[in-house]
Amino acid sequence: MPDQQRPGDRTAAQRAEDHGGIARLADALVPALVARLGTANLGEVEIREGDWHVRVRRPAGAGPRRERPHRATLPIVAPTGASTPHHGGAAETSAGPRQEVAVSPTVGMFKPGVPAGTRVRAGDRIATVDLLGIALDVVAPIDGLVAEVYPQAGDGVEYGEEIALVQGDEPIADVTGEG
Amino acid sequence: MVSRILIANRGEIALRILRACRTLGIEAVVAYSEADRTSLPALLADEAICIGPADARRSYLSAPAVISAALVTGCDAIHPGYGFLSEDDAFADAVRAHGLTFIGPSAQVLERFSSKEEVRRLLAAHGLPTIPGSGLLGDEAQALEEAERVGYPVLVKPSAGGGGKGMRMVRSARELAAILPICRSEARAAFGDDALYLERWLEDNRHVEVQVAVDRYGAGVHLWERDCSIQRRHQKILEESPSPAMTPAGRRELAERAVKAVVAAGYENVGTLEFLVDSGGNAYFIEINCRIQVEHPVTEMLTGIDLVATQIRIAAGEPLGFTQADVRQEGHAIEFRINAEDPAHDFRPGAGTIERMNTPGGPGVRFDSHAYTGYDIPPYYDSLLGKLIVWAPTREMAIARGKAALAELVIEGVTTNVAIHHALLESEPFLSGRFTTNLLDRVGAAAFLAAAERA
Repeated sequence: MPDQQRPGDRTAAQRAEDHGGIARLADALVPALVARLGTANLGEVEIREGDWHVRVRRPAGAGPRRERPHRATLPIVAPTGASTPHHGGAAETSAGPRQEVAVSPTVGMFKPGVPAGTRVRAGDRIATVDLLGIALDVVAPIDGLVAEVYPQAGDGVEYGEEIALVQGDEPIADVTGEG
Repeated sequence: MVSRILIANRGEIALRILRACRTLGIEAVVAYSEADRTSLPALLADEAICIGPADARRSYLSAPAVISAALVTGCDAIHPGYGFLSEDDAFADAVRAHGLTFIGPSAQVLERFSSKEEVRRLLAAHGLPTIPGSGLLGDEAQALEEAERVGYPVLVKPSAGGGGKGMRMVRSARELAAILPICRSEARAAFGDDALYLERWLEDNRHVEVQVAVDRYGAGVHLWERDCSIQRRHQKILEESPSPAMTPAGRRELAERAVKAVVAAGYENVGTLEFLVDSGGNAYFIEINCRIQVEHPVTEMLTGIDLVATQIRIAAGEPLGFTQADVRQEGHAIEFRINAEDPAHDFRPGAGTIERMNTPGGPGVRFDSHAYTGYDIPPYYDSLLGKLIVWAPTREMAIARGKAALAELVIEGVTTNVAIHHALLESEPFLSGRFTTNLLDRVGAAAFLAAAERA
């Protein structure tokens, strides 16, 4: 493998630039894209700018029906430039009550845990995914109510696949991103 | 039988394997990392499954993730491609333990052929010449005697070493006597072992390799040779066949000896034996690659044999299905590796979005690539973007087709190494066929490009 640039290779100035970019995206771009999403009846809107692309997607269950099994869960913010480090952050936004999706930590066989309707705290196990006999936890991303569990017992799921929708209490448009 | 294959690799080779599956009527599932979601093989596969994040250690190099992906998608075989897990005997064994077929040699065969030193001894015992060398050196007088026998210039190598560390080339007895204590202390410091041995230094060598295919029942053929002497820092960038450095009789003899030796040593499936060829035309075996290789299309163009399909059929337990007499070697083929890297800046790898891409076509032109207009090249993996392969009845005509095809190739948005290929096709050493592995490194790629521009 050739050399890879790692987040640690960034200079302070580059990091500051990243943070500035993220703040600008959060303040200006994301609300605009949300508005576009609402008026155009689209499932997803994506824009590209420099090293970044930002994709805003309707929350599961709202608007156009999300596919399942969706073997194409795209990262919502991802770097594309050579000099850009990998960012683990994601920007997700919705107009209604805050809701987040618990995703599979690996590729394997789905084993159900708690049923829909269960109240969970962030970090609680919702279900497990069996990787060659090792059970790995699917954890709740936020405090809230498990609104829906997508796979059935015994389904094969991929890494990052959406497993369960957790309905939070706070109505916010949440933007996160790490520099 | 194999009916559904998990392709546990990425890039152009994942697409190549997918195409072989299609022609064999086998379903193909592509296992991809998060960074490769939008690459062509993931988009074209019958099914694609994400096995982990961009970091290859947690995706393409994760044996549990790959095997789990094969099981949950209902595959009965795994094709590892090249690199990653392709020559890992423990992985091959785990694949078999889960009731799946590993597309490649069995775990036992991979294990037997895993140590370079042991393989050299094994194949030397079956008649392949290896680079002349000494046993472990004793005192100075004995070392000088050994060097005399091996013949100057010689390479002093630490026995415990690897990766070129602690090696010195000497041209005379005086130099050897002076360097021995230094080499000993360096070897002791680096490896905790000061044992040294000598190997003959091949000044101007060429890299020639022989493609073989051996079925489970001991039937084996060679598919002639490939000349991979055009390299930069030990990485091949252009391969061709037949080798312009060898006579027809020499090529035939080398290929026949190679296949005879590996069949006798119990090799199985497709493989490649690499040789260094000195200026006198003598070939010395250096190592074997137990997998499909990047440059396999060169051989496919000359022989008309689909090597990936052959590999799958052999792994599935089928007999080879053709004999040596069926393996023709017609015309001349050249492969140009198209890498996202900058030859003017020390081959610095690049990434980014391909703004525009147009691939060449026409008679005798093949382009294998996972990229397309709008494709984001992830920065995590090697820089290979695609391979342009041209075929023509003669080397001269193949070069002409190569020039035309390279001129048609458009890749915008990222820097590629296409300029170095243009320069090679204008350079006297390449055109005359008289070049060695240090052609580019001797002057440096930037100087080579500048010289081509002045010409």
